[in-house]
Amino acid sequence: MSMGSQKTTSQAIPTTRRVILNDAAHLPHDYSTTPGGTLFSTTPGGTRIIYDRKFLLDCRSSPLARTPPCCLPDIPGVTSPPSVTVNNEKAYPKPTVNNNSISPPVDKSTGEDAQFEMDI
Amino acid sequence: MNNKFDALKDDDSGDHDQDNSSPKDGEKEKNDEEDKEANTTKRKAVVPGAGEHPLQYNYTFWYSRRTPGRPASTQSYEQNIKQIGSFASVEQFWRFYSHMIRPGDLTGHSDFHLFKEGIKPMWEDDANKSGGKWIIRLRKGLASRCWENLILAMLGEQFMVGEEICGAVVSVRFQEDIISIWNKTASDQATTARIRDTLRRVLNLPPNTIMEYKTHTDSIKAWEDFHGLVNASGGR
Repeated sequence: MSMGSQKTTSQAIPTTRRVILNDAAHLPHDYSTTPGGTLFSTTPGGTRIIYDRKFLLDCRSSPLARTPPCCLPDIPGVTSPPSVTVNNEKAYPKPTVNNNSISPPVDKSTGEDAQFEMDI
Repeated sequence: MNNKFDALKDDDSGDHDQDNSSPKDGEKEKNDEEDKEANTTKRKAVVPGAGEHPLQYNYTFWYSRRTPGRPASTQSYEQNIKQIGSFASVEQFWRFYSHMIRPGDLTGHSDFHLFKEGIKPMWEDDANKSGGKWIIRLRKGLASRCWENLILAMLGEQFMVGEEICGAVVSVRFQEDIISIWNKTASDQATTARIRDTLRRVLNLPPNTIMEYKTHTDSIKAWEDFHGLVNASGGR
């Protein structure tokens, strides 16, 4: 379990273990993970990569998530506006279809409370 | 000529509900060839980039739109559906999603499909043929938000049903929108119940929301019956 050790020898089960984090970036990103390792290593169906809604939404603002994908097909009305063709979209401040600018800051940042009441 | 059937067809979500009117548009055939090309080429394996958050599975976005005046057949369904792209990480997902229109703003009779890479959003795919889907009908105005919540739950592995999930569809129709989630084994009741409960939770559905489970076998049967009715040759 301890980081960086080459071989494991048998040991008593530790009651506490300290994991020192030097940087906030080392914090785990999802609830199924604790600093220094996975807490619930055995879940039904095996260990899976789980993200909750809030974490996924937070990732949206990362610069890595904002560049247009390469080879995005041009489907008018779907990946580009009905008329204009999107080509040299290097600067994303004004991409023509970019729902980044429409939705997330307003209705997403408020988190769970922003969920609508639905009557169907 | 077959307006009376349109209501029937529109009552289904996101799959073979083709327009079965006049099969007389030979001039579209060329486009079909190109579309097919676009669907089969560019199959490079996507991997998460440095510093990105990997997903449990790779997924592919698809888009389809019913073109009026198409012959109804599996082939035309397959040719009508376009791959938008595949992704392997959370960040790559957002790159696509942020450059696509939201389903509530789509016009006409269109669908977005988000399926695990390698699974076609078709009943006939090996992963789907014994499967089924949960269907939720939404009044207009809710589709964008529900779709986002649905796919975020799927990508984040919130359903906890192992390998069972195949993909999700949002279908924009005339008076309502439909979202659905497809799984592999229709007969696995523990799985379908868990998917239903997760849907309730992640979509914030009120307890009285009607959710319908439909096996693909039933969908195929209904489709064949319907086309037998209007078109003796069956169309497929």
